[in-house]
Amino acid sequence: MARETLERPRFRHVGRPVDRIDATAKVTGQTVYGDDLRLPRLLHVKLVHAPVAHARIRRIGASKALAVPGVEAVLTAADLPPHRTNPDARAQVLLASDEVLFYGQPVAAVLARDPYTAAYARDLVEVEYEELPAVVDPLEAMRDDAPLARTGAIRDADRSEEQGHITVEAQQEQAQSHPSNVSSSITFRRGDVEAGFAEADAVVEGTWRSSMVHQSYIEPHVIIADYDASGELSIWSSTQAPFHVRHEVARTLGLPEARVRVTATEVGGGFGGKIYLYEPLVAALAMAVRRPVKLTMSRREDMLAATPAPQAVVQLKAGMKADGTLVALQARVIYDAGAFPGAPVLPGCLLIGGSYKCPNLDIQGFEVLTNKVSVGALRAPGAPHVAFALESAMDMLAQRLELDPLEVRLKNAVEKGDPLPSGQPYPAIGLKECLEAIARTDIWRERRRIRQHPHRGVGLAVGGWLGGLQPASATVGLNADGTINVTVGAADITGTNTSFAQIAAEELNLPLEMVSVVTGDTRTAPYAGMSAGSKTTYTVGRAVKLAAEDARQQILAIASQRLEVPAEELEMQDGVVRARGQPEKQVTFRELGRLTTGFGARYAPIVGRGAITARRQAPGFTAQVAEVEVDPDTGQVTVLRYAVAQDVGFAINPKSVEGQMQGGAAQGLGIALFEEMVYDEKGRLLNPNLLDYRLPTARDVPPIEAIIVEVPSEEGPYGARIVGEPSIVPGPAAVANAVADAVGARVFEAPLTPERVLRALGKLRD
Amino acid sequence: MPKRVITLTVNGETHEVAVEPWWTLLYTVREELGLTGSKEGCGTGDCGACSMLLDGRLVTSCIVLAVEADGCQVTTIEGLAQGGQLHPVQQAFVEKGAVQCGYCIPGMVMAAYDLLRRQPDPTLEEVRLALAGNLCRCTGYTKIYEAVLAAAERMRLEGARG
Ligand code: FES
Ligand code: FES
Repeated sequence: MARETLERPRFRHVGRPVDRIDATAKVTGQTVYGDDLRLPRLLHVKLVHAPVAHARIRRIGASKALAVPGVEAVLTAADLPPHRTNPDARAQVLLASDEVLFYGQPVAAVLARDPYTAAYARDLVEVEYEELPAVVDPLEAMRDDAPLARTGAIRDADRSEEQGHITVEAQQEQAQSHPSNVSSSITFRRGDVEAGFAEADAVVEGTWRSSMVHQSYIEPHVIIADYDASGELSIWSSTQAPFHVRHEVARTLGLPEARVRVTATEVGGGFGGKIYLYEPLVAALAMAVRRPVKLTMSRREDMLAATPAPQAVVQLKAGMKADGTLVALQARVIYDAGAFPGAPVLPGCLLIGGSYKCPNLDIQGFEVLTNKVSVGALRAPGAPHVAFALESAMDMLAQRLELDPLEVRLKNAVEKGDPLPSGQPYPAIGLKECLEAIARTDIWRERRRIRQHPHRGVGLAVGGWLGGLQPASATVGLNADGTINVTVGAADITGTNTSFAQIAAEELNLPLEMVSVVTGDTRTAPYAGMSAGSKTTYTVGRAVKLAAEDARQQILAIASQRLEVPAEELEMQDGVVRARGQPEKQVTFRELGRLTTGFGARYAPIVGRGAITARRQAPGFTAQVAEVEVDPDTGQVTVLRYAVAQDVGFAINPKSVEGQMQGGAAQGLGIALFEEMVYDEKGRLLNPNLLDYRLPTARDVPPIEAIIVEVPSEEGPYGARIVGEPSIVPGPAAVANAVADAVGARVFEAPLTPERVLRALGKLRD
Repeated sequence: MPKRVITLTVNGETHEVAVEPWWTLLYTVREELGLTGSKEGCGTGDCGACSMLLDGRLVTSCIVLAVEADGCQVTTIEGLAQGGQLHPVQQAFVEKGAVQCGYCIPGMVMAAYDLLRRQPDPTLEEVRLALAGNLCRCTGYTKIYEAVLAAAERMRLEGARG
C-alpha cells in the first residue's frame, strides 16, 4: 500500500498504523451490540408493516393477536402517549394513523415476551385498508396529472440528516403553492450556459439513472428503551448520533433532554443509515407499557422500512473545447425522496457543478415524493448518482476530442480557491494529487496492453465530498495510577476512538497502552455531533487534542510546583515529568495521579477540556481506476483489479484509513454492479432479502489497492481531513467507463447488470 | 406444544436445553446459553454472520433448527481462543486491520478457520471462494484476504494448531 506524502514533522503515534483498540473484543465475539443486551422484564416488539404503498387505514383489529399467550400489548397510533407529530418528518410519524404512505410503513406494534411470539401475533393483527393510487416512478410523479403521493403539502421538512453530512450555506426552496409531488427544488447558475455550448468543440448529453440502494449494514437496526418510575428515559440504540437522538426524542415526547439518556451501542455498520428513526417510537412504547422494550429489526423489516438511499435521474449536457477546457455544464438532477422529504438534492447539485472548473453552469435539482420508503443518508449521500453522470460525460468528451481522459480531468480539476456552484470557494484540496497518484498505478500504466484483450478495459473516475460540520468536545483525565482516560460523546463507527488514543498519547508523549478512550452516553459524555459527514476525527479529534494539551498544561503546572522548576523547563516522556538537564528532578504521572486524587490530596484532579466548533470544511477527493472484463455472451462484468487514491489530509491511523478507502470503494462497486431495490408498479418491494438484493461478496471484490494522498487541511488535527465518505463516489462511473473501454458500449443505468450491458451491446431486444 | 429437551455440546461444554421446535440453533445458543458472539444479519442463510461449526461442518446457524442439532458438537466464535490466547486467525484479523464494525467478524473468522483446517495453504482465489458466503459491508474484504493468508502462513510455521 502506498502513501504519497509531503515532508512533515515526525510523530510518535499519529501517522503510524496501529491496531484498533476494539479489535480483540470483536474477533472473540465479546463486543456487546444492541441485540446482545439483556434487561429484566424486557418486551420484544414486532411492527405491523403496511402491505400497500398508499392507503387509508379503515380499522385495526387486535383481538386475535392479543389472544396469543405471551402477547402483552398491541398498540396503534391512538394508544401512544401524547407526543408531537410532524406529518412531514418520518421519525415523528411514530405509527401511521390515517394515511399509509409507503409499502412497509409501520401501522401498529405488537409487544410480547419473546420475538417469535411477537412475530407470530403480528401476522394476526387485522388491518383494513382503502387503497389509494400510488405513485412509484419519480419522473411520473413530476407530471402535472400524477396522483399525489400524500394529502397535504410539505411545510416542515426535516433536513437534519443531510445537514449532518454536508454543511453548506445554500437554501433549498420549499414546494410551490399548487399541489405537487415536487417537495423542494434548487437552482445554481453561473455565466451563460448557451454561450458556453456555442464555443464548445464537443457537446455530449445523456440521462443517467441510479437505482435505490440500501446501506445494508450487517447489523439491522436495534433499539431498546426503558422509562423508569422516576421519569428517566434510557435508550440504547445502534445509532451514529446519540446526541441527535436525544434531542429528537426529547422534542417529540416532550421530555427535558436532561432526563433522556442515549447510549450508542456498538454500531454494526451504519454508513449514514443509522442516524435516528425508530427511537421516538420505541421510547413511546416503553412509556406506554412501563416496561423495557426492544425492537430488533429483521433483515426484511430493515429493507422495507429503514431509510435507504434514493433513486436518481440525472440529465446532463456538457461542452468542452478542443484543448480539453470544460466550458459548459447543464444538469437536471432528480432525486426520489420516497414518502417523506430528505433527499440529498443540495449536495448532488453542488458536486455536479463543483468537481471541475467550469465558467458556465445551469444546474437544477428536484426532490420528488413518491410512495416508496423515505430515503436517508448513505455515505456521501447523493454524490455517486451525479458522479456517474459527470464522470461518464468526461470520458465521452475526452473520447470525442481524442484526448487522454486523465489529462482532461487534471486540466479541469478544482483546486483551492475555485468556487462551488454556490459561490463558496474551496479550501486546500487534493483532487489533482489523487489523479497524479492514479496515473502511476499499474492498472493505468498498463491500460494499452490490457485493451489488446478483446473484452477487457480500464476506466477512471473521480469523486468528492464536502463534509459536515458540528461542534465537539472531549475531556482528558489523569487517573490515580498515572494512566489517562479520554471521554468523548461520538459513536466510534470507523476506528475514531483508536485515533483519539493516538492523539492523546502523542500530546502527552505516552505509550499508547497508557491511554484508554471511552464513548460515554449522553448524560455523561461531553457533547459531540453525529458520527456522519466524515467529520468525527476532523472535529472530535481536534477537541481531544485540545483537551490533551490542557491536561498537559495542568500536569506541568503541578510538576513545576513540586520540582520548583519553571514549567517551560520541564519535559514529559512515558509518564515522567523531568527538568531539562537535571534528570534527578522528576515526578511521575503515578505520583501526580495520587497527588490529585488521593485522600487529602494537595491538588485538584487533572481534567483537560477541549471544546471546538468547526466552521471550515476540509473536502476530500478521490480518484479510482478499474480494470474489468466483460463477458460478451452473458453481459457479466468482472472487476479484475481496482485502485483508489484518496486525499485524507493526514492519515492519523493509516491502517484504518486504508480500510475506509477499500470499504467505500467496495460499496461503490456494489452500486455499480449489483445493488438495486426493485419495486413493482404498485410500490411493493420485490427483493427485501440478501439473496435477491445482491451485495458484493468476496468473489466479486478483488484486492483493492489503496493509495493514501496527504494534502493537509487547514484546520484538522495534524492536517487530517474527511475520510469516510468520498471512497464510495466514483465506483459506478469508473466501472461504466471501464465497460465502455472494454466493449465500446456505454451503459447509462446503474447497477450495470448483465441485462443492461447486453442491451447496450445491442444483444437484447424488448 | 411442549418444549423439547435437547443436548448440545458447545465449545466442549455439554448443556441440556428445553427448546421450542421452531427455535433456531442461533437463537438457542444466543438466548438460552448466553453466547452472543454469533450474530444474526439476515436470518435466511445469506450473510454468514451466524456461522458456526456443527459436528465439524460450517453451517449458517440461523437456518438450522435447534432440534436438528440435538446431540451435536457445536463450535462458536467463543470457542476459538484457548487459554486467553487468540487463535492465529483472530490474531491476524486484529493485526491486518481486517476488523471494522465487527458484526460480520465472528462468522468471517469461523469461515476462515474452517477453510484453513481443510486447506492450510490456500491461494488468494481459494480464500475468496471460501469466504463468498460471508458478507462484510465495511472492509471491502481486502484486509480480510490479507489476514487469512497471513494466518495460514503463521499456522504452517507454527505447525498447525486447531
Ligand atoms: S444470519 Fe445466518 S446467514 Fe445471515
Ligand atoms: S466489519 Fe462491518 S460488516 Fe464486516
